[in-house]
Parts: sequence; C-alpha cells; structure tokens
Amino acid sequence: MSPAGTMASGGGRRMAPGTAAALVVVGAIVLGAVAAPWLTDLSPLDQDLGGLNRGPSAEHLLGTDVLGRDILARLLWGARTTLMVGTLGTLLAFALGAGVGLAAIVFGRLTETLWFAVIDLVRALPATLLGVLLIVALGSGMAPVVIALGLSYAPLVALVVRTAHAREAARDYVAAAASFGGGRLHVLVHHILPNLAGTLVTQAAIVLPRCIVTESVLSFLGLGSSPDEPTWGRMIADASRFIEKAPHAILAPIVALVVLTTALSILGGRLRRALDPTRAAVAPAEPSAAILAGEGALS
Amino acid sequence: MTATTELRDAPIDAAGHRAPSAAASDRTPGDPRAVPVLEVHDLGIRTGGRDLVAGVTFSIGAGRTLALIGQSGSGKSMTAAAIMGLLPPDVTVSAETRIELDGRRLPHADDGAMRAFRGTALAMVFQDPMSCLNPFMTVGAQIEEALWRRGVVDPVVRRERSLALMAAVELPTPESLRRRLPHELSGGQQQRIMLAMALAAEPRLLIADEPTSALDASVQAEILALLARLQARFGMAILFITHDLAAARRLGHEIMVMRHGRVVDFGAPRTIFTTPRHPHTRALVAVREMLERPPAPRRSAGTPVLEIAGVGFDYPPRRFLDRPSPALREVSLTLTAGRSLGVIGESGSGKSTLAAIVAGLKTPISGDVRLFGTSLAAHRFALPRALRRRVQIVFQNPHGALNPRHTIATAMREPLDLLHIGPRRARPERVAEALGWVGLDPDLRLRHPHALSGGQRQRVAIARALLSEPDLLVCDEVVSALDATVGAEILDLLRRLQAERGFALMFVGHDLEVVRWIADEIAVLADGRLVEHGPADRVLVAPASVAARRLVEAGRRADQPSDPAK
Amino acid sequence: MRRLLPVVTALAAGLARALAIVAVAFFLCRVMPGDVVDVLGLEGGLTDAQQAELRAALGLDRPVIAQFVDWGAQALGGDFGRSVRFDRPVAEMLVHAAPVTLELALGSFGVGIGLAFGLAIAATSLRSRVLDAVIDALNVWSIAVPTFCAGVVGIIVFSLWLGWLPVIGSLVLPILIIGLDNAGQIVKLVREDLAEAVMLPHVRTARAKGLSPWRIALVHVLPVAAPIALVLSGLVLSGLVAGTLTMEILFGLPGIGSLMLNAVHGRDLPVVLAAVTVVAVALVAINTLVDALHRLIDPRVTR
Repeated sequence: MSPAGTMASGGGRRMAPGTAAALVVVGAIVLGAVAAPWLTDLSPLDQDLGGLNRGPSAEHLLGTDVLGRDILARLLWGARTTLMVGTLGTLLAFALGAGVGLAAIVFGRLTETLWFAVIDLVRALPATLLGVLLIVALGSGMAPVVIALGLSYAPLVALVVRTAHAREAARDYVAAAASFGGGRLHVLVHHILPNLAGTLVTQAAIVLPRCIVTESVLSFLGLGSSPDEPTWGRMIADASRFIEKAPHAILAPIVALVVLTTALSILGGRLRRALDPTRAAVAPAEPSAAILAGEGALS
Repeated sequence: MTATTELRDAPIDAAGHRAPSAAASDRTPGDPRAVPVLEVHDLGIRTGGRDLVAGVTFSIGAGRTLALIGQSGSGKSMTAAAIMGLLPPDVTVSAETRIELDGRRLPHADDGAMRAFRGTALAMVFQDPMSCLNPFMTVGAQIEEALWRRGVVDPVVRRERSLALMAAVELPTPESLRRRLPHELSGGQQQRIMLAMALAAEPRLLIADEPTSALDASVQAEILALLARLQARFGMAILFITHDLAAARRLGHEIMVMRHGRVVDFGAPRTIFTTPRHPHTRALVAVREMLERPPAPRRSAGTPVLEIAGVGFDYPPRRFLDRPSPALREVSLTLTAGRSLGVIGESGSGKSTLAAIVAGLKTPISGDVRLFGTSLAAHRFALPRALRRRVQIVFQNPHGALNPRHTIATAMREPLDLLHIGPRRARPERVAEALGWVGLDPDLRLRHPHALSGGQRQRVAIARALLSEPDLLVCDEVVSALDATVGAEILDLLRRLQAERGFALMFVGHDLEVVRWIADEIAVLADGRLVEHGPADRVLVAPASVAARRLVEAGRRADQPSDPAK
Repeated sequence: MRRLLPVVTALAAGLARALAIVAVAFFLCRVMPGDVVDVLGLEGGLTDAQQAELRAALGLDRPVIAQFVDWGAQALGGDFGRSVRFDRPVAEMLVHAAPVTLELALGSFGVGIGLAFGLAIAATSLRSRVLDAVIDALNVWSIAVPTFCAGVVGIIVFSLWLGWLPVIGSLVLPILIIGLDNAGQIVKLVREDLAEAVMLPHVRTARAKGLSPWRIALVHVLPVAAPIALVLSGLVLSGLVAGTLTMEILFGLPGIGSLMLNAVHGRDLPVVLAAVTVVAVALVAINTLVDALHRLIDPRVTR
C-alpha cells in the first residue's frame, strides 16, 4: 500500500517504533486477507455441529462460535470484505470528492457555489443516517454500503480540496504564473495539484479507518452484509447476542478491528506530519522572529 | 488641564513605585549624571545552545529615549522581551545578565516575580495595534483593566481616569470612543489606545517595539510626535525599538545599533549620522543618504506605453447579499516609454489593484487600459501572448512569488515556456544568463527558494520578469518586505536595469522616500481615486491635494532631525 | 440590524437545508424496491388485488411529489401517519422513544464537551506533556475504537466479570462510552485552538499589562476560543448519532435509534421516515443555531 512505500522512502530517517509496529500490523492483516484461502482450509460458513462454541483448539485455532463456525476462518475472510468495502468506500469518496471539488474549481464560481451547496447538504447527514437511508432505498448488501461510505466522506474530501486550493490560489506565485499567461489548467497542474497531493494522501489516511469503522457499524446494525458474507462488524453483531455464553467469539473480531484501525490511524498521523504542507519546504524564518511568534502560554 | 492633574495626583501603589511626576521633579530630564531608570548589563539570550543576543549593555535615564535600531533578526525585539520578562518558554537569559530598574535588580528568570513589575513600573506597546488589542473587549474596558491592575479599585475613578488617559493620548471624543471595539477604530487610534493602556501603568520605563511600523506614513509621524510629547509630560524613560533610522533619529536621545544579536554602534544621533563607526551603521546611513538624494528625473520623451482611462474596480462581495465595495474609481494615468511612474497611497487606496489590472490579472468594471496602443477592453482584459511578453509584474513578498516546491530554474522556465520565449534548447542557458543580469550566481538556479535570502529571492523574481524583455515592468511594493539595506540594493538594481534596458516602470509603494527615489513622476491614490499626478519634484514641493500634502508632510517631519535633548 | 442580518441569513439557510434533507429522505424512502405492501404481501399472503387496494388506501399509488406535499403538510402539524406494522400513530411512538435518546444524547454531549475542554485547558495552562499524550491517545481512541466495540467490552468487563452494572437498560455505560468518543473527536482541535489562542498578540499585551494567568485565561483567551468551541460542538453531533444508534441497539434501550432500526428491518416506512426526519431536522437546527450564535458573538464575523 502506498503509505508503506512513502514511509519507507522517507529520507533514510529511522522509523519510530510505533510506526514500524503499525506497518507490520497493517501488512499482516492485508496479507491475511489476501491469502485467506491458502491460510485456512476451513470455510467461514461451515458449521462444526460437533463443536459449537468451543475455545481454541488444534483444529480451531481461535475456537468456534455458537453456530460452530471457525472463528479464525471467519476473521480472515471477514478481513477481505472489511478491507475491500473500506478501500472501495475511500476510493469512491475520493473520486467523488476530489472530482467534484476540482471540477467545481475549474468551471468557475457559479458551479463551485452550486456544488458546495449540495455538499453542504450531504454533510448535514451523518454517515450512519445516510447509510440507513441508502440501505432502505437500495436494499441491503455491500454495494449500498460502499455508496453510503463514498457519499458520506466525499464532502470531507471536497472541502479539503477547496480549502487547499483556496490556500494555494492566493499565493503570489499563482498570480505570477497567470501574468505569464498560465491558464487555470496550467496553474492547477503545475502549482496546485502538486501541493494538493500531500493533502490528499493525508486525507486518504484519515478517511480509510473511518470508512472501515462506519462499515462495521452498519454491519453491526444488520444493515450491511448478508449473513453468508462475514465481516467483522457482522461477527460482532452475531456474537453480541451470546455475549455471556461466548465472549471469546466476540472479542476476536473486536480486537482485530481495533488493532487495524489503531494501526491505520497511527500511520495516518505520521503521514500527516511527514507531508504537512504548512511545514514542508517552507523557509525557516528569521530565528528570533520565529521564536517571538511562538511566544505566549498562559503563565 | 484637569486630565493632567488627575494623572499627576495618582496615588503611589503598594509596591512603593513613585509616580512619574515625582521622579521627573527629582532630576532634570535628560541629565546624564542621574541614576538611570534602566540598566542592562551583559545581556545574553540563548535558545537551544544558540546565542540570539550576547553582551548587550546599555542604560536609559529618566525622561530619556534610547532608540534601538536593527534589521530583522538583529535581536532587538528579543532584548525588549527579556527586559519585560516575556521571552518564549524555550528561550533563556544567561546567568551573567544583570537588568536593573531604578537600581533594583529585576528577577528576570522568575515569571511570577516579574509580573509584579509588568503593568506597573514596566509597560510596553507593540507593532500591530489591531491584533494587540483584545477584539472582544471595548477599548475603554481594556484601559480600565490596566488601571485596575494598577490598583484603581473604584469604578467611577477608573472611568474618569481612563477618559483622562484617552485625552492625554489626544484621542477625540473619548466618551464615545470608549465604548467601541478595537476593529471599529483606525490604526492610529488603536495605537493611541495601546499608549493610553501603557500610561495607565504610570511606568518608569516604556518599551515601544516598532510602534509605528504597521501604520500608514502620515499616522506614523503623528504617533512619533505624540510619544515625544508624552515623554515630556510624564517623564518616563523610553526604549524605542525600530528598523527605521529616520524614526530613530527623530525620537532618540541616543541611538544603539544592533546586528546579529550584538551592539555594533552607539552614540548621539548626530554622531551616528556624521561619523558612523561600524560598517553596518555606515550602510544604514548610506541608505538614508541615498534616499534623501534621489537622482535627477529623466526627461519626458517617447510614446505612451500605458494609458489608463477612467478605470473602476469593485471588490466582489464577501457574502451573498453584501454590496460590492469600491476599490478604484475613474482612475486615468499615462506613462511614456523609458520613464518611471510612482504610484503611492495608504493601505486600502487601491494602488495594488491598479497594478494587478495593468498586468492583466484583474478585470476592471469600467474604463479601459491601453498597452502600447492596444486596448485591453477590446480583448476583455485577457492579454494576448504578444502583449504579455511586453508587460511583467514583480510582487511584494519575494517568498510567496516563488513556489517553494520548484527550484529557481524551474520557476524561471515557467515564463519562458508559457510565453514561448526563444528556442526550447536555448532556455536553460537563458535562465543562467538572466540570473547574471540581477547580480546572482547562476549556480543558484539549482536551489530551492527557501535556501535563498529575501533579497536574493526578490532578485530572482525580477530576473524572471525580465526574461521576456518587457517594455513595461510593474513593481508592486517590491522592497516593502525587505530590510532597508537590502531594499536599497534592489532599488539601485532596478534603476540600473532600467537605464540598461530602457523599460518603463510602474512602481507601486507606500513609502514616499522610496517612491520619490525611483520615480520621475508620482501619482497619489486615496480611497480609490487619483488625487494627484505630476512630475515627482512638483508633487513633492507643491502638493495640490490634501492626501498628497499629508504624505509629504509626514515624510518631511520624519526627515528633520529634531534633537529633543537640546 | 446590520448585526442581525447574517444571523437571519444563517437561519434561512438552515431552514432551506432542513427542507432539502427531508425531501431527500422522503424520496429515498419511496424509491426502494419493494414497499411495505410487498413485505406484508410476502408475509401475509395478500392477493394482488388486496395489495393494490392497500396501496390506494395508503396513498402509495399517487405521484411522489403529491405524496411528499401531503406528508409534509401533515408532518408540520405533528402527524407522521400510522405505523404499518403496529397500527399506532408514528408521532406517539416517537414521543414515547424520544426521552431515552435525549437523555443519552445530552448526557454524552455533556461528558464529551466537558472532558475535551477540561483536558485541553489543563494541557494548555500546565504545558503538560503527559496531558498532551493523553489527548493524543484519546484522539486515536475515538478514530480507532468504534463505540459498539467499546460497549461490548464494557459489558463483558463491568457486567459479566465485575458484576457492577446491569447489562440492559442502564444509561451509565453508554453515556460514558459515547462521551469518551465525542471528546476524542474534538479534544485535539480544542487543544490546537487554545495553543494558537495563547500565542495571539493581544494575549501578549495582557501579559505585558501584568495580569494574572487566571485573568488572562478567562478574559483574554477563552473568548477567542469560544466561537471555535461552538463550531466544534456542532461537529460532535454526527458522532453522537452513530453512537446513540449503536448503543441503543447494544444495550436494548427503547429510543429513537431502536425504533428506526426495527422499522428499517420491518420496512415500516412511515416510522423510518419520521425517525430520520426528526433526527436530521434536529441536527440541522442545532447546527444552524450554533452558526447563528457564532455570528452573533464574534464581532469580527459580523463585520
């Protein structure tokens, strides 16, 4: 994945242990999801009727749930759906958000105003509520979830694009380019997009874990996947009815989900600091002036 | 005046600080033998193992002003912050430092103990009064807060005292101004409020850190004059920090020059001007002398390159339903080949908007601009490429004008590629050559902007604008963001380039001295209208409009070395 | 008047937004494949004729726009129709469910805002690295730990293992969990905002005046931070929706969230529509009020 590549090539600096651990975790989960068919012979759906709700054993490494399904197999296959839906939702959010944001900018003020009125509207609906509505309209399944995720997070991306664009467009070098006859497209390609790229990558790192969490919330509410399509949220929902009988069945997907999103958000935080456009490539101001500006604190 | 008596009868506070009037009557103001109010000995300021200020020693007597002058990064503001105990958390004062106020050592390392001195014996005014006032409090309440700090508990007395202070700083109608919020006041009024707040402390020492730098020229002169009058009346010592040698000469009994955190020169204003010892002081004085003797204007000749006819411009409304605010109204000007036109005005006068219109960056709502005889209105103000080559613009902030992600070479390739200048293969060569025109090492082209100094960046911006061999160069406040010595070099460079290449120059500025130095003719803008246009000499000697007269008088007052000591 | 105009425009914009959202919700509920009659038909074996009759009775055979106008007019009068499943007035069901949700939402909002501002103010005035680390951790927590996961673990730990709280029906744990999540979402922004506020020049002026740290914090820093605080409290709301929904389900609380979700599963459209409308309009109303308040108290915005 791209965060890994960017981080590793970060100028030969030594990686913080937290970052390294997060990378390992994300890598392992992605690998597990991709290699699920080869990692386990057991199907996530087959019920071992002789071994309902068992603890870990040689046969079932993480035990079985109340229906006798292998938890590890469900976890691995569930990772596929969870990651897939989260990634697709993020991609859709970016395609919609960045697309609409940039198009609105290129086509001028009126289009911009119109589009951002629409975006404002979508933003007023929380992701969960939008998900509920879309699933009501489109029926349950993975596609409505992806659409709901894309629609919910697209406004965030569009706003980020607009803010970054406004910040860049006010620069004198953009005015200078215009004075050399550079049109909107030239300015966009040469000055704004390169400065925007970092912001977008950072934003992706923020949106991806949110998509994964929202997907799990919707699955938990029974609005996402169908029962024969395991996701972590669904596993938690299924097992939550038997918390008292089978706590291990519910803890496994929770731990997996929290570990993944924590690792992703740690990576996102590192990425944000590494690519922060307000820090990157800005001249160090006069030392004393910079320090004076940082003066303050309450005491 | 009742205001005076009320202020002078101020009670002595618990800490036993004398009111300024008592101090003033003890000694003749300006008597050098008197015990100094402030004595700074071997001041050192460090951060992260680096010296920001080292070995600074000076003293200021009651009723005296020390003008501390230096360019950005010289450590002058740090020095002030150290005296006030307002240094940032990670900046420390060295152990050898001794700072004494009226012979008592200040506990500069102990913030809690320093607080007892701030707002009582020590007061300070800062550069940008708008942002230095609390936007949520009425200005009257902010002055009263300072009085409350000084122990004036009775609200009625506090009210009266604050009105008296506002009268003392020569604010008109204190009773109605009192209830306003800072943003409802002009910059000059805001700084007067800051001064009233400082006076409320009845300070022994007033530190004024660039108190006029954020203000318009005519207001600057008024504030400086007010500072001198207030000192004469209240007798406090003033540490006046500035980057402007003219202002230092005007207000200082002594001038101290700092550079890279050290004192490089010290003396009476006359000595500093006539026999500057340090090369840096000599450079500063040379800039003054250069600006005071502008070269002779060139003769008017040649064809008009720029004809502005009845141009108007509105800023778009910021919000739906707002009305657009006018920026320019009916401005008409002409400029002939090879000459330079100075456009001067205070902030908000519309001068930068005019520059942007001429460079084809903004579209006026009315009127026409003819460049080299071609009507821009006919092209809907979208300049055709052939015309773009002939007009170029340089901006104020040399850092913002260069994309931080691009090398100098990439930045300079941009106009060559966009304007199709010369054959593609010859372009790298031309970039190197252009850097030579402005006195830069061609090797700099591989660097990024942040590796260059402000002056170097501005030279790059000028070289880039010259790549297309323009016949008209628009310079929008190109030296305003630079230190005086660097700015003077840029001015000199512009003039030399103009002589070599013969382009016409439209130079937009707010500093009369700078504009006068470079311009053959001067246009004065006020509130979006052209109020004066003529040969530089005529506008300066006999300004016809009120706005021009204000500018000229402000400049003249700043020029005259009034030596308050005599 | 000049000061009120932006407030009026903010309110008008809010009204338009609420209307648009309700319309979107209405149409999304109408385009679904298979309406309530289909569901009932499958369950109860209604004939085609009976289904058509039922549709006509429910007004489902009329043009969507007309349906929307009728429904909107009735909704304004507090009549959201009848639940198809339970054959009760929807409004009655909402009124019955609202107190639980309100209690949950207000409680966790209070916990969230209190925790976020308490931590941020403490970290700023004490310049404490430990508190900054706590803030960072809380922030990661809110991004990475969905409220329902925290809820499940909370149930296991506090109810099953420690036996402190009853699993079902108690509001304490849900309020704490949502509050923690809300706090995590804004605490970092509040902290950054305060860090910026203490560096403002007018705060330096206040220090130069020799004022006490407390007076500086209360009179000169907090008013600057207050408008942003308002905006941030608006931000918390959408997290609140997801939080209350999942918590109501997990803890078996009979609030609007449970009502809505059960209706979704049962295709009880009048109920879904009413619940979504109430929640969305409430959100828009709060955001609009926040916006209007912001414009009213910040002298610089109204300029």
